[in-house]
Amino acid sequence: MVLATATRPQAASTPPAPPRRRSRRSPGRRQEGLAGYVFLSPWLIGLMAVTAFPVLFSLYLSFTNYDILSSWDMLEWVGTANYEKIFTTDPIFWKSVRVTLTYALIAIPLKLTASLGVALLLNRERRGIGLFRSAFYLPSLLGGSVALALVWVAIFNGEGSFNSFLSLFGIQGEPWINDPDWALGTLMVLSVWQFGGPMVIFLAGLKQVPTELYEAASVDGASRVRQFFHVTLPMLSPVIFFNLVLETIHGFQGFTSAYVISNGSGGPVYSTKIYTLMIYDKGFTDFQMGYASALAWIFLIAIGLITVVFFSTGRFWVHYSDGGDS
Amino acid sequence: MTRARSLSRVAMLLLVLAVVLYPLVWVLGSALKSPTEITSNQGIWPQDVTWSNFTVGWSYIPGVSFSRFFWNSFLIAGASVLANCVSCLLTAYAFARLKFFGRKGWFALMIVTLLLPGHVLIIPQYVLFHEFGWVDTPLPLIVPKLLATEAFFVFLMVQFMRGIPRELDDAAKIDGSGPYRIFWHVIAPLARPALITTAIFSFIWTWNDFFAQLVYLPSVPSYTVPIALRLFVDSSGQTSLGPMLAMSVLSLLPVFLFFLAFQRFLVQGISTSGLKG
Amino acid sequence: MHPATPAPAGTPAQHHGSLPAGGWNRRHLLRTLAGAALAVPAAGLLAACGDDEPATDPNAPVNISFFWWGGESRAKLTEQALKLYTAKNPRVTITPTWQAFTGYYDKLATIAAGGNAPDIFQLDDNGLAEYAGRNVTLDLSKYTGNGKIDVSKHPESLTKYGQLGGKQVAIATGENTPAIVYDKTALTALGLELPQIGWTYEQTITWAAGVSAKKPGYYGMMDPSSDYKALWLWLRSQGKEFYDGPKLAFTEADLTGWFKLWVDARAKGATPPADIVHEAVDGSVTKQLVVTGKAAVSFMWSNQLSEMQKATKADLGMTAYPGDPKGQWARASTYWAGSRTTKSPDVVADIINFLVNDVEAGKVLGVDRGLPNNLDVRKAVSDGLTDQKMKDTVAFENEITPKFGPAPAPPPKGHSGLRNTLRDIAETVTYAKQTPEAAAKQFFTEAAAKLA
Repeated sequence: MVLATATRPQAASTPPAPPRRRSRRSPGRRQEGLAGYVFLSPWLIGLMAVTAFPVLFSLYLSFTNYDILSSWDMLEWVGTANYEKIFTTDPIFWKSVRVTLTYALIAIPLKLTASLGVALLLNRERRGIGLFRSAFYLPSLLGGSVALALVWVAIFNGEGSFNSFLSLFGIQGEPWINDPDWALGTLMVLSVWQFGGPMVIFLAGLKQVPTELYEAASVDGASRVRQFFHVTLPMLSPVIFFNLVLETIHGFQGFTSAYVISNGSGGPVYSTKIYTLMIYDKGFTDFQMGYASALAWIFLIAIGLITVVFFSTGRFWVHYSDGGDS
Repeated sequence: MTRARSLSRVAMLLLVLAVVLYPLVWVLGSALKSPTEITSNQGIWPQDVTWSNFTVGWSYIPGVSFSRFFWNSFLIAGASVLANCVSCLLTAYAFARLKFFGRKGWFALMIVTLLLPGHVLIIPQYVLFHEFGWVDTPLPLIVPKLLATEAFFVFLMVQFMRGIPRELDDAAKIDGSGPYRIFWHVIAPLARPALITTAIFSFIWTWNDFFAQLVYLPSVPSYTVPIALRLFVDSSGQTSLGPMLAMSVLSLLPVFLFFLAFQRFLVQGISTSGLKG
Repeated sequence: MHPATPAPAGTPAQHHGSLPAGGWNRRHLLRTLAGAALAVPAAGLLAACGDDEPATDPNAPVNISFFWWGGESRAKLTEQALKLYTAKNPRVTITPTWQAFTGYYDKLATIAAGGNAPDIFQLDDNGLAEYAGRNVTLDLSKYTGNGKIDVSKHPESLTKYGQLGGKQVAIATGENTPAIVYDKTALTALGLELPQIGWTYEQTITWAAGVSAKKPGYYGMMDPSSDYKALWLWLRSQGKEFYDGPKLAFTEADLTGWFKLWVDARAKGATPPADIVHEAVDGSVTKQLVVTGKAAVSFMWSNQLSEMQKATKADLGMTAYPGDPKGQWARASTYWAGSRTTKSPDVVADIINFLVNDVEAGKVLGVDRGLPNNLDVRKAVSDGLTDQKMKDTVAFENEITPKFGPAPAPPPKGHSGLRNTLRDIAETVTYAKQTPEAAAKQFFTEAAAKLA
C-alpha cells in the first residue's frame, strides 16, 4: 500500500486529471501544500527506506513458514494456515489474550490516573520542585534494567519487603510474584510505578494552559475543583488523548518488564505471558517467525481497531486550540 | 488555610515519594552488600557496607572499562536526541499546521507504524541494514531517527502543536509570513516543552535500549551500558550481582542528571499576553 | 541422528549441502525484495555491496569473527587462548565478541538470518539441531575425517554428540554432566546421610522427606519436574529415550508417571510448595534453593559447583542425578561450530582444532566449558587445578564416566521450544492447576506442533 502511494508527493503539486473541488487553488494554499511535503520529506524518506520494507515483509512472512535460519528457497507460502492455527488449535493464544487484556485494562487507567495526579501535585513552581519531579521520574529511568528483576523479586516474593510491611498490620501476605493468581498484579504495579513518562507529558501539557484562563475563572469565583474540570481538563485534553492512545499501545506492547521479571518464561503458569512475550517465544525460541508474524498482524489489527475507536470518539471530548479539523 | 493546604500537599508528596523510591533505595543498598550477603539478605540495607562493588564493577569486563561503555552510550544517546528533535519537529509541523493533499492518510499510516510489535521487524530490518552495509556500525541506531521513524515523537509534537492557539499563526500570516517563517518564528519556539520532552525521552530510551544495540553493535568495546550490564549475568555460572547492581546505580546517574537539567525547561509555558484569550 | 539412518530432521540439511547456490539465492531474494521496497534510490547502494571474491592466496591475511556467551572470566580465558593461536598464525586475526546468555541466541539468529553469521560461534545442545538442522553450520566431517580436527583422543560418545544426519556439525568444547548439588553443612548438622550415585528416585524422595521432617520450613529437595534433563535421565534410567529422531520416544503414560512422581513427592513433604520451586526454576545459580538455604538438594550441572559455592557459606557437595548412572552419557557442555558461509573454512577448522587439542590452549581454558575432550589435555588441566570445588567436579566426572551409557543423538529441531513447554506445563501440575494426566496430554499436543 505504501508503494502504491509513493508517487503522490509529485501528484500533489500537479493536480490529477479529473479535477476535484479543490481544482482552483489560491497561491497560498498551493504554497502550503508544497511546504507540507517539504516538511514531511524526512519522514516520507524514512517510511519508504526504513519502515515500509520490514512492515510489509512481516506481512508477507505471516503467510509463510519462515523459520529464520533456513535458506530462502525453503520458504513456503502456506496461505492462511498460520492464522487458522492461531484461532483454532493454538493452546497459548487465548490464554495470552486474556492475560494481556486484563493487564491493559487495569494497568493503563491506573497509570494514567497516577501520572496525572502526581503531575498536578508537581505543577507548582517552587524551590526544589525540580528535584521532586526528577525523583518521581527515577523509577522510569530504571527501564527494563537487569536490576529491576532482582528488586521486584526481593519486594514481592514470599519473604519480600512487601510481606514484611503487611505483617506489621498482622496480614499474612501471598508469595505474590511466585503465585499464578498474583504475578500479573506485580507486573501491573511495576507498570504504574514507572509512571514518569506520561507524568512528564502531562507536566509539559499543563504548562501550555494559558494562566489567564485560571485568573478569569478565579475572578468568576470558580472553586479549584471547578477550575480543574472546566479549565484544566478541557485544555489538557489533547495531551490526555495523546497519553491515552500511547499508553494503550505501549501497555498492550509491554514486553520488557514481563520478560525481565519472569526471566522470559511468562510464568508462573502462563500468568504473565503477555502477547508480545508469546510472539517473541514463537519467533526466537521456536523459530516459527512466520507464525509469529501472523500473531503480530492480528495484534496490529486489534490495536488498530482500538485506536480507531479512540480517534473517532476523540472529537467529542478532545478540545483543540487550533480548531481541530482532523 | 493555604499554609495548611500547602503543608498537606508536601506531606502527600513525601509519602508517595517514599513508596516510589523504596525499590531504588533497595538497589543502592544491595549494591553495597557483599557477594554472599546479596543472596541471603533480602533486606534494604547491608549488614556490612562494601564499597568494593563499585571499583570491581567499573573494570569487571576484561580489557574494557565502564568509562568506554558510558562514552558509547553518550554518543548514541546524544546523536539520537538531536536527530529525533529535528526530524520529528519538521514532520509534526506538517501534520499539525499545514494543509496538503493526503495529509490524513499519511497521518493514519504514521499511527499504524506505532502498532506493530517490534520483534517481528528485527530480522527484516537487519536484512535491510545489512544490504545497506550498515551493520557493525552505529548507523542503524541513528539514521532512522534522523528520518523521523520514531512516530511516538511525531505524534507527541503534533498533539502539542495543536494545543498552540491558531491565532498566533493567523497574526503572523497577516504580517505576510509564509509557512517557513511561521514554523521558525512561531511554532518552533512555542513547541519548546514538546521538544524538551522529546529530548528527555530520546535520551532516556536510547540510554536504556537493549535489543537494537545488542544486535547492531559488533564487539565488546562498542557495547553500551545496558549491554555491558548484562555481561554480569550469565546463566551458565558466573554471576556477579553486587558489581552489576553497583554499575546499575551508576548507569542511572547520567540519565537522572540529564532529566534534572532539562526538566526546568518544561516549566516555560505559553505566554498568551497580548492575545485575546 | 544415528549416523546409519539419517533421520528426517537431517534430510533438508543434506539436501542443501549439495546446493551451494542456496546462500546466494537467499541473498538474491532479499536483495530483490529490499530493492523493490526501496525503488530507485537504493539501487546504487545495493550494487555497491556485492559479494566479495573468496580469498585464494593461502598466505593472505584472514580475519575470523568469533562469538560466544559467558561471563567475564570465560571472556578472559577465551581471548587469552585465541591470542596463543594468532601468535602462532600471524596471518590470522580474530575478532572476538561475547555477551551474556540472555539475548545470545536472539542476536545469533538475527545476524545469521541477515547473512552475517560469525565464522565461529558457540552452541549448546539445545541450539545445535536448530542451527545444524537448518544448515547454518559448516560441515566439519571433512576435517575430522582427514585429521585436521583431531578427535582421536576424544571420547567417542562426545564426538558423536556433535553429529547430526551423519555429519559432524560441531565439536564439543568439553564434557559436562547433570549433577545434584547438596548442602553438606546442613545435612551433616541434621545427622543425615549424604546422597549417593545410584540412588533411585523413590529412595531419594523418601530420604528428602526425612530431611524436611527433621527441620521445619526446610525442604529435602528441589522439584525437578519441569527440568527436561531430569526427565530425560529418568526415562533413560528405565531404558527409555526422550527423542527418536525428530519425534518423542516416550508416551503420554510415561509423562503422566513423571508428573505423578513429583505430586506424590510433594504430598510426602520431600519438595517445597510450588511458589518456592518457582523461585529456582529458571536455573540461575544465585536463585537455587541450596544457595538461598531453602532446600538441601538442587538439580544442576557438574561445572556449576564452583560458582554455586561462591554464593553461599554452606559447604556444598555433588553427586549424580538419581537413577541408574547408565542413563547418563558424556554430554557436551557447549560446542564450537563454524559458519557455512565462512570465507575461510580451513582456518575455522584449524582454530577449532587448536582450541580442543592444544595443551597450552587447554591449560588456559581450564574447565570453564567443561572437562576438556582431549584426554591428554584433560589430564594436564586436572593436575593444574587449585580451586577445591573444581577439583571436586573433576573427581565426580572421573567417578561417573566409566558408568556412562551410550550417547543418544543430540535433541532435534524444536527442542529449545519444547523445553519451555515442559517447564510451563509441569508448573500447571506443581501449582495444582491441572492433573498429571491433563498436563501430559497438553504436552503431547504442543509437542506435535513444535517438533513438526
